[in-house]
Amino acid sequence: MAIRSFDLLQPRSLPEAVAMLARHGDDARALGGGTTLVILMKQRALYYPYLVDLQTIPGLAEINAESDGIRIGALVTHRRLECSPVIRASFPALADAFGQIGNVRIRQTASVGGNLAHADYRLDPPPALLVLGAEVSLFGANGARTVPLGQFFRGLYETVLEPAELLIDIKVPFMPENSRAVYLRYNTLSANDWPCLGVAAFLTKANGRCRELRVALGGLASTPVLVGGLDFIKDQTLDFAVIERLLDTVDQQIAPFADLRGSEWYKRRMARLFVKKAVEQLSAAW
Amino acid sequence: MKREITLNINRELETLTIDDADTLLEVLSERLKLWSVRESCGVGVCGSCTVLVDGQPVSSCLLLATRAAGEITTLEGLQTGSSLHEIQQAFVEERALQCAYCTPGFVLTVKAFLEQNRNPSDQEIREYLAGNLCRCAGYADIIRAVRSAQAKINSR
Repeated sequence: MAIRSFDLLQPRSLPEAVAMLARHGDDARALGGGTTLVILMKQRALYYPYLVDLQTIPGLAEINAESDGIRIGALVTHRRLECSPVIRASFPALADAFGQIGNVRIRQTASVGGNLAHADYRLDPPPALLVLGAEVSLFGANGARTVPLGQFFRGLYETVLEPAELLIDIKVPFMPENSRAVYLRYNTLSANDWPCLGVAAFLTKANGRCRELRVALGGLASTPVLVGGLDFIKDQTLDFAVIERLLDTVDQQIAPFADLRGSEWYKRRMARLFVKKAVEQLSAAW
Repeated sequence: MKREITLNINRELETLTIDDADTLLEVLSERLKLWSVRESCGVGVCGSCTVLVDGQPVSSCLLLATRAAGEITTLEGLQTGSSLHEIQQAFVEERALQCAYCTPGFVLTVKAFLEQNRNPSDQEIREYLAGNLCRCAGYADIIRAVRSAQAKINSR
């Protein structure tokens, strides 16, 4: 089906883009890579008379190493991030998470900022970015602000973005020494499909024992979950009892809803299984 | 909004007036009659409408034509004169097609893949091609064709 006619506005700067969005209000939407918005407009699930093309703004598609981490522009494509030598070297788990999305053509087109701003509950990157302690920069009429990713998602397709505010980059801090992270995606339908769930884990060790463990899960409920209350892991080794306590802690903090990819019961079982796998992979890596 | 754009398609510049809402697929298939570019699922899953932009595969069904900057290659752009490209030859020789609806998408995806990875593992081939669907189920033949094309290209 053809897309109903609209005007593609092509701003040259962020303030110009924000002004366009503000002027047209609910009649306008920011267009990143377009893999979601174009499909939804094609299916006539959504219609906006104006789309504001973020690709025409210079400087939004860069990956820059800074002193304390790497800043990823909102318009960087999934594929570029997946293949970026600097990302693969610093955050292999993140490259893995982006590398498992959809298919190679989607990854070539979709933008990392659009992915997060869309806030679908089944996205792969949020769990990986959450355990890495990422934050996002937002830009609106009142200037820029920074929000930790853990506070960015508000609900199903809902974020803290104000009307006419844009997600402009993602900052991922370098991992401390002796740290590793992993992202595991579990598919119950085809490889191209959304995951049943995604699990990310991050472990820092000191003297052969755990210093810090972070675990995050996506695909289960409206927003991704960064598991809290894992301080008991400090100075422990990951033996059976510690892992069981971890899995019980995870289970208490998730509230899976049933969808095409699994029932609530099934997702709880799989959450336990994949958190265990993730943690075992991390501890085996040493 | 209507606007005039110039697209670089198969090494030729085409200037045409399009609507902002036109997808690259609509422009290539309906306006320019490049019939190797085929719509099937319409949502980027199946790979039938694959074209290369600067050598990388994209789904032309969800790329707005106004944003298609770069060199666009469709299957029609692979052939030189009357001889088939090595990948096309390999698909014919290995009988890696039946109804052939999906074949242009596969051939272009294989081209992008072999340019990035001259000596892939079977797993890498499967992962890269996972986004192209063949409903005649010729996957085993297609993977054989990739190996055959790889040998032809590497021995150029």
